[in-house]
Amino acid sequence: MLAFEQVERLFPGGAGVTDLTFHVEPGEIVALIGLNGAGKTTLMRLALGMLRPQRGTVRLSVPWAEVGALIEVPLAYPELTVGENLRIACLLHGCDPQRAQESLIAWQLEPLADRRFRHLSLGNRQRVGLAAAVQHDPTLIVLDEPSNALDPASVLLLREQVLHRARLGAAILVSSHHLDEVSRIADRVLLMNRGRLIGELDTGGQDLEQTFFARIHEDDDRRLATAAGVGR
Amino acid sequence: MNAAVRVETLKLTRSPVGVIGTIALVAGTFALLGGITAAVAQGNPDLTAKAGPAAELTWHGLISGAVQITVAAGFLGFGVVLAWIFAREFTDGTITGLFALAISRQRIALAKLTVYALWVAMVSLALMVGLLAMGLVLGYGAPDADTWVGLGRVGVLALLTGALAVPVAWVATLSRSLLAGVGTAIGLVIIAQVGALAGAGGWMPFAAPALWAMSNGTVVTFAQLAVCVGLALVSAWLVCGSWSRLQLDR
Repeated sequence: MLAFEQVERLFPGGAGVTDLTFHVEPGEIVALIGLNGAGKTTLMRLALGMLRPQRGTVRLSVPWAEVGALIEVPLAYPELTVGENLRIACLLHGCDPQRAQESLIAWQLEPLADRRFRHLSLGNRQRVGLAAAVQHDPTLIVLDEPSNALDPASVLLLREQVLHRARLGAAILVSSHHLDEVSRIADRVLLMNRGRLIGELDTGGQDLEQTFFARIHEDDDRRLATAAGVGR
Repeated sequence: MNAAVRVETLKLTRSPVGVIGTIALVAGTFALLGGITAAVAQGNPDLTAKAGPAAELTWHGLISGAVQITVAAGFLGFGVVLAWIFAREFTDGTITGLFALAISRQRIALAKLTVYALWVAMVSLALMVGLLAMGLVLGYGAPDADTWVGLGRVGVLALLTGALAVPVAWVATLSRSLLAGVGTAIGLVIIAQVGALAGAGGWMPFAAPALWAMSNGTVVTFAQLAVCVGLALVSAWLVCGSWSRLQLDR
């Protein structure tokens, strides 16, 4: 559904991502974890065509109409109500605006349907963004830290939605800082550090946090050793 | 495309920017014309001298005043709203949601320009109808043939000014900045005014509609006005191209 093959995209100053190779299959939930600045959002922007790779290839086997995404800011406008925002998201995704009503129910947004987006709390804005991203039943879903600002009840709702859509056959790529959260839903967890994918995290272990930091430090040490070797 | 036009229409009609922009252009023009008319009627010598042809309490004076106001206010009012239509996606961060959609960004940009063009046409029509109503209320009598032509010329001037503001959308896109777009609109006002004063003539597109309207169509040719339309179309093509190639790399 989504495949990266040795993808590289560097920014002036050297930051960016390099040598990214991975794939997400239908019905699979792949989580991406890493520290701030590791390159998770850049990877997702490459997947969605917001950035073009300087090397390698990004392949999507579905048309854009079958993609649903939430990257950083919800597709919602402050002057419009929640209902209007969901209806325009339907129009832009090529689906029937009537589906917005189902979305309001599914994401428990009915009481807020007539409220302007600018008057919502951060958590409710995020819920509207998530609803707008997936209400057209996409077969590829890309979510960048979707649980940001969500209360525990909304996190549960998000988890149910993600699992439900994966069961329906959608390929899902999700980034998160919450190791516990991703371990509950992800089929595979990819570790990212300093612009590179450094392997998968075994979520079956006892102390995920300890394992995560050990892998990150191990990668940092390896890079330092390599850099020192080159410098000599 | 139809869906994108519906979306952009809703965004413009529900936003304070669209509402205030319309009020500023239409009501602002008539407030200024009312002020000029009142001052001239009271025999204010300073304003009468400054107003030039607009200082007559006739259809001709009213239309001359409307032309002078539209030349300056048009670039600014149309330009600010157009800059907002495009730059807001970057300043609000919603541009990330305009990728990976069923509708291409090129079509979204075209829809934005289409809605802008419709809005400019409605403002132009409102200016013409308002001028007609104002002249009748002021007791200038039934419009003769020259007056109808003059009213039409105000509408065409507003349309051409709106078309010539399209480069603002390109600057707002390239810079991803509302202020840069607004700055460009102000720059267009200055270019148009300086161009007209310096006698740049009809081949200076940003000054041509003003010269055409102020000279009652005598000093600017049809070909020179066509250049204005061509410039707007080239600008629209550049805007759509920029949206098509857009990358979120900064």
